[in-house]
Amino acid sequence: MNQNLKNKKIFCIIPAFNEEKKIAQTIKSVIPFVNKVIIINDASIDQTKNILDQLQKKFPLQITILNHLTNCGQGASLATGNTYAQSQNADIIIHFDADGQHRTCDIAPLIKPILNDEADIVFGSRFQELKSKMPFFKKNIIMPIARCINKIFFDINLTDPQSGMRAMNKKALTEIKINQSGMAHCTEIIYASHKKNLKIKEVPIQVIYHEFGQGLKGGLRIIKDFILGSLVR
Amino acid sequence: MLQQIIALILIIFFILRLIWQKQTNKINSREFALWFIFWFLVAGAVISIKKIDKLVADLGFSSSGINVLLYFSVLLLFYLIFKMRLKIEKINKNISKINSHIAIQNAQEKKQSQN
Repeated sequence: MNQNLKNKKIFCIIPAFNEEKKIAQTIKSVIPFVNKVIIINDASIDQTKNILDQLQKKFPLQITILNHLTNCGQGASLATGNTYAQSQNADIIIHFDADGQHRTCDIAPLIKPILNDEADIVFGSRFQELKSKMPFFKKNIIMPIARCINKIFFDINLTDPQSGMRAMNKKALTEIKINQSGMAHCTEIIYASHKKNLKIKEVPIQVIYHEFGQGLKGGLRIIKDFILGSLVR
Repeated sequence: MLQQIIALILIIFFILRLIWQKQTNKINSREFALWFIFWFLVAGAVISIKKIDKLVADLGFSSSGINVLLYFSVLLLFYLIFKMRLKIEKINKNISKINSHIAIQNAQEKKQSQN
């Protein structure tokens, strides 16, 4: 970490649900880039919890594990992580996936605009210079539809409408409250950051796909969850 | 007429079943009252179906009274499902809040005990 980063408390928040295959590798790869890794075990039913307990014994100062008693969804896990990071007075937080699809080399460019005071929230984009090998249907059908929805309904012009890798400073962390328990939190965070007039920036990231992820059905579920979630406070 | 008799027999069956459920404490008084009033109103609608037909025609509907009742029932069911979805969403959110609170509290207690 360079001198500029040493003055900041940088936390990486990783929600994990049944990620026994990749979680250890992901956490070990993230540790050198941040001050603290917060993993939210969302009531996994595989070996994830045991792996996390072993990792915490190995890295007691670098890792904090938050265990949900019941499965609440990725959005709820991120909300738990955000609340904990806020209680620990984090300066910058990074949302990172547990399944190893995000690259640690993208962390530094992601937080750079925050360190330079150019942005309050930075979204990683899979559609800028660095191109991800995204499945054809997702890239050419689902993402353009999601971009159109963002543009028409929320007047949002981001190249990546569903990015899971993002960084926030203290201001963004305070202003944005994640209410969407499921996958609709991506849209919610983007929408909230526009609504709160935060300084927004996108930086190119590359995502390594191990599986398809959200299909058309998943996309429709996100829209349904977003609408239902917006009606309940 | 025959259809009305069959419908009334079915309603009587449901009311008797309701009384049995109340006597065996399978439902509480509030649920009993709610369902009793519901079946009572349905019985009233079945008995006065001719009057409802006339009322529906006077209101400008082309369908018969029973059809209009059916359409309203479907609408009511959709509304109840929507209300139920909202309630489930609210419960889910509350469960998430409790989970989050417990997870953070446990982590902080663990941290304190380590210090």
